[in-house]
Amino acid sequence: MKKIILSIIFTFSALNAAYTEKVKLPNIKFSIVVDEDFKAMQRNCQWCHSFGYITNQGKQSREFWHKVVVKMRDVYKAPISKRDEKITTDYLFKNYGNSSLN
Amino acid sequence: MKRRDFLKTSLAASAVALSSSASAGVTTQPLDSQEVSKVAFPEKRPLITYSNRPPLLETPRDGFTKSITPNDEFFVRWHTPKIPTHIDIDGYSISINGLVETPLFVSLKNLKTDYEQVTITAVMQCGGNSRSAFKPITSGIQWGNGAMGCAEFKGVRLNDILKKAGLKKGAAWISLNGGDTAAFYRTPSFARELELHEIKDDVIIAYEMNGEDFPFLNGYPVRLIIPGAYADSWVKMIENITVTNDYKELFFMDTAYRIPDNECECETDQNPVQKTKPITTMNVKSIIGYPTSKTLIHMNSNVTLKGVAFDSGSGIKEVLISLDSGESWERATLAKELSPFAFRAFSFKFRPKNSGNLTLMAKAVNKQGQEQPFAKEIQWNHGGYKYNGIDSVTIEVV
Repeated sequence: MKKIILSIIFTFSALNAAYTEKVKLPNIKFSIVVDEDFKAMQRNCQWCHSFGYITNQGKQSREFWHKVVVKMRDVYKAPISKRDEKITTDYLFKNYGNSSLN
Repeated sequence: MKRRDFLKTSLAASAVALSSSASAGVTTQPLDSQEVSKVAFPEKRPLITYSNRPPLLETPRDGFTKSITPNDEFFVRWHTPKIPTHIDIDGYSISINGLVETPLFVSLKNLKTDYEQVTITAVMQCGGNSRSAFKPITSGIQWGNGAMGCAEFKGVRLNDILKKAGLKKGAAWISLNGGDTAAFYRTPSFARELELHEIKDDVIIAYEMNGEDFPFLNGYPVRLIIPGAYADSWVKMIENITVTNDYKELFFMDTAYRIPDNECECETDQNPVQKTKPITTMNVKSIIGYPTSKTLIHMNSNVTLKGVAFDSGSGIKEVLISLDSGESWERATLAKELSPFAFRAFSFKFRPKNSGNLTLMAKAVNKQGQEQPFAKEIQWNHGGYKYNGIDSVTIEVV
């Protein structure tokens, strides 16, 4: 009988265990090109999303990447300066570009 | 040349350049056979992982052989980076406020004891599922086919809760928001609005998924379930429901998750359609879960192809299979219908006679007679929404 009670208690605590303490989300490193402009990516993009979001878009035109940067600033309100708008667009096209301007 | 003429010419020249790149845009099969991650998220088996902040997880193709998707295999999609990682369930309640006679705070216990309990099996699918099929590429996560799943949800009718609170005169809309927040104060938060007269009795606030608590990443402790509608309206971790007399402008309602409001629901990237509408109801779709492109099949062996089909609730009439790239079609055997909103599992037995590559196709037809088009017939929209092309898997026969 004792055994049964114990196992019941155990089941209950197992069910709730996930939420009695903080859920830990794994920290995954998505591989991304690190060059002299990478710091601009770190200071502008990582607030809201992992680099997986970026590399998942595949290789794209310069216009595509510029539109994405502008959308992040204008729609999602990321505080991207005029200077960083250019640096991040350059970085993205240089490393994740498809050699087409538009 | 006058300046004005020069402008005209250069505009025309760029239009030619652009339209030539646009004409290359033929819809293809979505990405397939992406590797699952080595890292498992809490309560999930390792899935295809596009991001950890916010978490974006996709179910691999081989998950679609059965009508119920297990919780640990179910896709995950969040919009903002700060999702709550802890909920004090004893202090948790949903606030019902606005144009109501009696504002309510509905706890999990209230949900389970004060209202009639309802169960419904329904498909949850991201509006951007299969987005990677669209060319030119549209912005947004380049999902393969696995941003969907089907589960049995248990909860309480939203209408019953609103009735208990009592609607005041002039009540016409409700807005709901969940527990996730953005990194910046000014970033639009993820909220949804529903028009009251559109809330049918199968819309529920669910607290159970497949007989268990919701996985944290799927919206624990409660999630809105709208059978037949795309999952962008299925608000996770609901904290607040406000009844209003009018529609408020919201980014995720007015800008995101919208398609051209024309008959083909299509446009080109050079000529975007100004008038748009929400994506709302799902179209008819099917996916082959077995075999996959990684399966090796022996010549003259007996193979049972398996998959799932669904639409927005009229139900699946038939699923047709082709082994000759769409020249001829044969009926698959349909499993029991769990609900008109659920995955309808299907199977088809065949025996490959020749070695080499063999392409398998599945096409679902719903009870209204609507059927899936070939991928290449699907026209483009800027958000990459609502892809439902005939599924195609090429296997190797040895």
